[in-house]
Amino acid sequence: MRVFKKIVWGLLILLVLIQFIPRSINKSDKITPTDIVNNYRVPDQVQSVLNRACYDCHSNNTRYPWYAHVQPFRLLLDRHIIDGKEELNFSEYGSYSKKRQFNKLKSIGESLEEGTMPLKSYRIMHADARLTEAEKAVVLKWVEDTRNLIVEGKSKTSL
Amino acid sequence: MKKIFFVSIAIASIVLVACNNSDNNKQAENHDMDSMKKDSAGQTTSMEEKDIKTVAVAYTNVDPKIAASINEIIDHYLHVKNALANDNGEEAVKGSKAMSSTLGKIDKSLFTAEQKKIYEENEEDLKEHAEHISKSKIEHQREHFSMMSEDVYALAKAFGGGKTLYHDHCPMYNNNKGAMWLSETMEIKNPYMGSKMPKCGKVEEKIQ
Repeated sequence: MRVFKKIVWGLLILLVLIQFIPRSINKSDKITPTDIVNNYRVPDQVQSVLNRACYDCHSNNTRYPWYAHVQPFRLLLDRHIIDGKEELNFSEYGSYSKKRQFNKLKSIGESLEEGTMPLKSYRIMHADARLTEAEKAVVLKWVEDTRNLIVEGKSKTSL
Repeated sequence: MKKIFFVSIAIASIVLVACNNSDNNKQAENHDMDSMKKDSAGQTTSMEEKDIKTVAVAYTNVDPKIAASINEIIDHYLHVKNALANDNGEEAVKGSKAMSSTLGKIDKSLFTAEQKKIYEENEEDLKEHAEHISKSKIEHQREHFSMMSEDVYALAKAFGGGKTLYHDHCPMYNNNKGAMWLSETMEIKNPYMGSKMPKCGKVEEKIQ
């Protein structure tokens, strides 16, 4: 019994201590010139989906949910954001080479179709990241249109 | 009972005809090729080799160090391609890791301005596909390989690959959207279908 008590206390102390692990903050309220909206036309419907379902991990601006303020969840979240931004960052999309922009759009479409994105764990925690078929179709059409624009060498500045 | 028998015969024959159609075309082609080969017996190149459209490499003034690096990139690419054709994901990982390291040490100061532009258009994308191939399962490797092929094709057309490269195309991959690849041999060994359909595809052109 005494051993059990010790273990419980030990765990409690550990839980308090891990709250002091440093946290990264992914927040920027400025829209950079390299942001996708400054490079390609993003219709409102598409923007709404991106904001709700993608930007938490794929932009320089994360909306932190309540559990993000509690460790060890924050560690997981920070990791997701680092990986997500490395893979695709909508805030820096304009700095990618044309070829990479073109291929990223293809991957966006494929991930949506295959259901690999948004991540399942994220969809469980975020109701507004669960896309309807209609929303998916709108994004897929935008992906296709934007890829055609890239092939034709047109960006927002040249339209 | 008789009815069932006839219906099943009918269905079977439709299926067989449908499946054979593509093969028949191939056979007809092969047949033509065979007769051509016989006609041109004694010549060093067969008719089919000559029929392939040749694309000349754009730059002949490439720095020898750059040329060596590009050849290395293409060799690692072919390593990945052959691994995928053999359904060997682990081998594809090796090839893509080797490509990443070559991409990391290429000396960009040796390019002319124009050459550098072409290289940089593909560099970032190529690095990314190599990285993905080195850490994913075979189906995902193939997805990235199709995009990687486009990059390597651009580099091969600009700088050459130290050998003749064949530009092949498979119309079936990715729900019939199709995909291309480069090969060091004229024989088709499909890296997208692997052992399922090793012969699917055709040679579009050769780069020399």
